[in-house]
Amino acid sequence: MIQIINIQHIGKNILNSLETQKDSYRMFHNAMKNITVLKNPSIRSVLYRQIYFTGIEALNKIVLLGTLIGIIIITQVKNIVGSNAVLTGKILVWTMLREVGPLFAAIIIIARSCTAIAAELGSMKVNREMDSLRVMGINPFFYLIIPRIAGITIAVFILTFYFQVSAIIGGLVLSSLLVDIPFFQHVASIFSVLSFFEIGISFLKSAIFGLVISTVSCYHGFGVQASITEIPQATIKAVMQSLFIVFIFNGIITLISFL
Amino acid sequence: MITLEDVATEEFGSIWIEIKEGSLCKIITQSEHEKQSFLDTILAFKKPAKGRVLLFDVDIYAANEKALNEVFHRIGMVWKDGGLISNLKVWENIVLPVWYHKGKLPDDAEQKVADLFQEMGIDKSRLLKIMGILPGLLPAYEKKLICMVRSMLMEPDLMIYDAIFEGINIEMAERLTKLTTQFHTKKPGRTSVYISSDEKSLHHLHTNLAFIQQGEGFIIWS
Repeated sequence: MIQIINIQHIGKNILNSLETQKDSYRMFHNAMKNITVLKNPSIRSVLYRQIYFTGIEALNKIVLLGTLIGIIIITQVKNIVGSNAVLTGKILVWTMLREVGPLFAAIIIIARSCTAIAAELGSMKVNREMDSLRVMGINPFFYLIIPRIAGITIAVFILTFYFQVSAIIGGLVLSSLLVDIPFFQHVASIFSVLSFFEIGISFLKSAIFGLVISTVSCYHGFGVQASITEIPQATIKAVMQSLFIVFIFNGIITLISFL
Repeated sequence: MITLEDVATEEFGSIWIEIKEGSLCKIITQSEHEKQSFLDTILAFKKPAKGRVLLFDVDIYAANEKALNEVFHRIGMVWKDGGLISNLKVWENIVLPVWYHKGKLPDDAEQKVADLFQEMGIDKSRLLKIMGILPGLLPAYEKKLICMVRSMLMEPDLMIYDAIFEGINIEMAERLTKLTTQFHTKKPGRTSVYISSDEKSLHHLHTNLAFIQQGEGFIIWS
């Protein structure tokens, strides 16, 4: 009889996946424990560079995408609720601040930076650049991993904020043009539904997403051993696992916030 | 300074080597692979099956991370392929260890770097051109020179030169011999180790101490 579902194989995969999560968490814990190494100016320069590459260089794309998403949401909302400014504002704030904003920013960073980091670290490992660092008395984990985790987390924070602002502004401008409600009335409706809770949820999500993306991509890049063929495998694993964990955390935080 | 006591690896059966502080010596292996294995063993990358490796009297395979970093801090390693960090520009590569360990660059760092490159025969216009680019674009011998300058800037107690005379012309080899032997004497107690699998490339280097691989071990040759 052909065995369609191989229980042993599935079980092994689950155990491997749990082991990976455990190792990633250990890396994250180690990074947090040694976060003070960022006081070292040479390590801080890696942090600034990471913020620049992940945060600043992606800014124009994030703003453009945010504006387009805002326009799409407003168009859909207008078709459903008509000229109800308060409800439009409420839906825009809820979707943008709570859900779409942090999630979209995270997805863009996963697509853009997660692959770059895993590939960069992987090739450094294959080319023995990490060995070279070690012989210089430089701890590769301190120099390469900690500033990347911190830098990406800060970048996700910044990009999420810009994404949300551009989406809300883009959406408002379009709705002012399409619907017979003045722009400032829309703005007032937004502020009437905006609360610290919504902003807090957005901050919490972007912080967690940033930490997840950075840790997972660094973990897989750092885990490359000696073969160049491991690099594409590491980038694929980094992207898929980041997406998976980000969606899980998004679901959990959303569920908890509505309880 | 460097002591290998009955060290056995996949490639070597039993290595007994002692290089005392202040020595200038050469180590010649039978093949590139064995040379790499030897380097990996003395740089704590490849734990031997048996025996002890001591650098500055520290057993590097028994030492903790902090002690090992302190040992490495005293070593200047000139890699055959340069060992440069690919995402850092040449200048950033050169000053990285000094910047990391001291927190800031010494005032005379630029001058020291310029002087060293001048002694290597690199003219000022070429120097200015390469400082701002990534090392991946440079020829192999220039990467090696940059690595040498980076190591020398740290004023290490132990310099290890991996195949530095390979792939360069006679004039450059003479310049590097002069530069490295002068650098050896600049600091009292400094030890210099030249390692290669090509005996001819180290032939011109005058020293009383040399280890040549014979079978699975090394013999002292003078």
